[in-house]
Amino acid sequence: MPFGVRPIVRRKPPRAVRRRRFLLAVANHSLLIAAAIAFLAPVTFITLTALMTNQQALSADLWPRPFRWSNFADVFHQAPILRWTFNTMMYSVLATLGVLVSSIPVAYALSRLRWRGRDAVFLLVLATLMLPPQVTVVPLYVMWSKLDLVGTLWPLIIPVWLGDAFSIFLLRQFFLTIPEEYLDAARVDGCGELRILTTVVMRLAKPAIAAVALFSFLYTFNDFFLPLLYVGENPHNWVLSIGLAQFRNLHQVQWNLTMAATLLVMLPVIIVFFLAQKAFVEGVTLTGVKG
Amino acid sequence: MTVTRAAATSAQDVAALPAIVVDRRRTRRRAAWRRRRLVLLLMSPWIVGFTVFFGYPLVMSAYLSFTHYDLLNPPKWIGLANYRYMLQDDPQFWGAVRNTLWLVAFMVPAQVLFAFGVALMLSRARQGVGFFRTIFYLPALVPPVAATLGFVYILNPANGPVNTILGHLGISGPLWFQSPQWSKPSLTLLAAWAVGNVMIIFLAAILDVPRHLYESAQLDGAGPLQRLRWVTLPSISPVMLFAVIIGVIQALQYFTQAYVAWNIAGGQASQAGSVSTVELGYPEGSTLMYPILLYQNGFRYFHMGYASAMAMLLLGVAFVLTLIILRNSRRWVHYAGAAR
Amino acid sequence: MKRVATAALLVAALTLAAGLIGSARSSASAAPRAKQAPVKLTLWVGWSARELNVFKKVVAEFDKARPNIDVKVVGGINDEKIIAAMRGGNAPDVVSSFTSSNVGNFCASGAWIDLGPYLQRAKIALSTFTPATLYYTQYKGNRCALPVLADTFGLYYNKKLFKDAGLTAPPKTFEQLTEYAKKLTKKNANGTIKVAGYNPVFGFYQNSAANYGPLWGAKWTNPKGASTLATSPGWSKLLRWQKSLVDWYGYKNLVKYNAGAGDEFAASHPFETGKMAMMMDGEWRVAFIEAEHPELDYATAPMPVDSAHPELYGAGYVNGTIIGIPKNGKNREQAWQLLRYLTTNTHALAVLSNGLRNVPSTRASLKSKELKPDPRFDTFLKVFAHPKSSTTPITAVGSAYQDLFTSFLAKYQAGRVGSMQSGLRNLDKQIDKQLKQAGGGVP
Repeated sequence: MPFGVRPIVRRKPPRAVRRRRFLLAVANHSLLIAAAIAFLAPVTFITLTALMTNQQALSADLWPRPFRWSNFADVFHQAPILRWTFNTMMYSVLATLGVLVSSIPVAYALSRLRWRGRDAVFLLVLATLMLPPQVTVVPLYVMWSKLDLVGTLWPLIIPVWLGDAFSIFLLRQFFLTIPEEYLDAARVDGCGELRILTTVVMRLAKPAIAAVALFSFLYTFNDFFLPLLYVGENPHNWVLSIGLAQFRNLHQVQWNLTMAATLLVMLPVIIVFFLAQKAFVEGVTLTGVKG
Repeated sequence: MTVTRAAATSAQDVAALPAIVVDRRRTRRRAAWRRRRLVLLLMSPWIVGFTVFFGYPLVMSAYLSFTHYDLLNPPKWIGLANYRYMLQDDPQFWGAVRNTLWLVAFMVPAQVLFAFGVALMLSRARQGVGFFRTIFYLPALVPPVAATLGFVYILNPANGPVNTILGHLGISGPLWFQSPQWSKPSLTLLAAWAVGNVMIIFLAAILDVPRHLYESAQLDGAGPLQRLRWVTLPSISPVMLFAVIIGVIQALQYFTQAYVAWNIAGGQASQAGSVSTVELGYPEGSTLMYPILLYQNGFRYFHMGYASAMAMLLLGVAFVLTLIILRNSRRWVHYAGAAR
Repeated sequence: MKRVATAALLVAALTLAAGLIGSARSSASAAPRAKQAPVKLTLWVGWSARELNVFKKVVAEFDKARPNIDVKVVGGINDEKIIAAMRGGNAPDVVSSFTSSNVGNFCASGAWIDLGPYLQRAKIALSTFTPATLYYTQYKGNRCALPVLADTFGLYYNKKLFKDAGLTAPPKTFEQLTEYAKKLTKKNANGTIKVAGYNPVFGFYQNSAANYGPLWGAKWTNPKGASTLATSPGWSKLLRWQKSLVDWYGYKNLVKYNAGAGDEFAASHPFETGKMAMMMDGEWRVAFIEAEHPELDYATAPMPVDSAHPELYGAGYVNGTIIGIPKNGKNREQAWQLLRYLTTNTHALAVLSNGLRNVPSTRASLKSKELKPDPRFDTFLKVFAHPKSSTTPITAVGSAYQDLFTSFLAKYQAGRVGSMQSGLRNLDKQIDKQLKQAGGGVP
């Protein structure tokens, strides 16, 4: 903090200036409130529609009369939501485990060990992050189909067990911030690099690991392209995103139920956000403005 | 002090103590070998993953792009025929290119400007910053399929709430997802709604601008707009540039929202249950993005050779963009995370 | 200690997951070899909801009579899934598709096996099936599919709305259709459509070029196989008729109407709820109305035709459900038994026809005593039997050429095509090139 540079600190500004500042603040807050209403509107309308009868959902009414709470139960009767949720969780949990198991060592090697070609390899990792998945999808699909695994979730899970570029990047950024003294202390105690990684680094990097796990959960939960490609044909292995996109086609279900299902799919993410807000904030800061 | 040197010296210390006479070089070589083995061990998942999921498919894609391949019969070499068909004959190719370029030219700037505007407002707020930040950030977490479904319903021109409210105000609302002029702007609205990540990054960058810069500008008699132009913008320009590049990369792979919106909006007005009867990129091909056309060719028509040719072109464009990023990676590396 | 526990947990979770994720597949591949255990067959069909239940009942009869076979029916399957499954090596034992024009895809690629030898061995003559269905179950002589029920299209009209408008008989020409449609249409105060007399928008429900073609005598290809959208006069006549009616409503009004119309296969269907006075639809609608809105006062008739070709009246578009055995299916012998039952058993076809109100696809079942008589359904049996009824060409690209036409029609009806004739000529070129490219790109 460069203090002493500024001449005189808070001198009470003249009245006109204060008034102008006050008006600006009011204007700014009004804009914020308007924007907040606009941001909340979609979810509000979705919720209201989810509580309507189908006749109403097809009409211009905005307010449900009567409120049909049973719509949410109907969604479960109409579609195997539980099955989809189970598959999604399977995908999420296995992928997240894989991300952690594979990416932590790689990130460590890319941040705390020095070896020839390290920076080049790190650039390669970044490059794979930039590459649209559609570029490699044809040969990969052929490969998985030869292995007879198309129709299962394995083509989505196995690759992340072999390193996930985004998580490697994120963890590396965090590992770089760990003070060298901690590692040196461990080395003096006679720890090998592997021990240092599994004890000191992992303990210190808990917030980053939590953020990576969180982002991995989010990514798998929201993923659509790869599940469409690999399990789209096999309803038994559908995840929530695929099920939801197919929801209307499946049983010719109505808009009110579709919106109820939409809301149900949004819910877990929002709950996770409020439960893990701190990890989120730290994670986003890490991806965003670590400098 | 670097890690390796520390590791090397400690290894040396341990090894050197009992064996004063033993060849020191050998010890050092062994230590180096052990270190290399450690790096290899730690890197091994990525090395395998990179080879199998990037190296191999890139080479294979290049090969397949010169073949006719339907996955049932072995690939047949046809030279440049796929590329010729793509650039000259395919009636859908240029439309898809134009649609994707539209995203780059309009959706990306709109998204960046909007995120910046919201962040700017938030940075000046005195009350309820946490509350507003949560509201603006949350939509970014909403699963894209769910968000798209919601928007298609809300923007339904016949009975959706938005047009109903516009109607009460005496405005005849547009056809939104049902009209080729409005379908991409509707997707842009959706993108603006889910702009939270970029917004947070902007917010942090704005708050990072040193206060004294503003104060000295104020002393020089700069008004709020001038301060924005001469202090805020220059200070956050790297972030802005970064946001644009990431936006472009995302625009190149834009798939889910367009695919779902067209199937749902198109399915509304046509036979349910069978995607194949919904016109590609409904309405009038206006939402047929490049990656979707690639998907259609590869995995609906199973023209895998042709899809590979399209992938090679996409690779070329992404490669150029990636080079731009990596060239400046020193400056940007900290922000690259938002690519996901 | 803690680490060991974590590792153990990890391993446990992985094994569990492997079992669960793999379960769907292992149950299929590890078909028990023991004599007692029945062979498990998977059958994919497009039907869903009420229709799927009807179909399942018929399959259950087959199942019951054969203790050595156990059939699992999966509904709601579309062609996208079928194609993906066959390429991905994850196919069922028996598969059926609503889109008969995709048979070219299935036969030419070898994805569905040739059924010729099976027919010969079982001594089933081709004359068992009706001629139209025989055409759309083969590609260049390779019969990789058989028909199970057929579809034809006709006009549905609301008798009450007709009476209110002072109309008595259904229209027989497209001029009449336009005239009636205008009389039957009711608009809201703001100009939007309240009741549509006839909704002509291409892409809306069953309004496709394929379904209109036979009514105008329009031909898709010449004998050499080249596309003739510009040269066969029926198409331009159809387009001009359609555009004039669209313009009368206002394209924007129709789009709005369609967006609010609800789902085609839900009880909120606008024809079933009196918001549409006439429509072109398949014979299955009879069963839908009976199940969802039995009180609806309606009748059926053949679709009107081009007034220059009165001899076409009574004809219509024919297609149907095709069924075959994927190359990578597992139990071919049992699959053939099931397929044979579904395609040739008169009793099964009659029960299906009664339940789904689809047209039976063998000559014997068309005359079955078991068929429930219904004048509204008989219309479609007659259309099916009409000599001028026809289907779409079978090509190696399946219905991809229709996708191109559909895209063109969407622009055309919105008024965004400058010259229809040159547009159609262009389209012919594109379709020919598409076929060439699909064939391997080598001339």
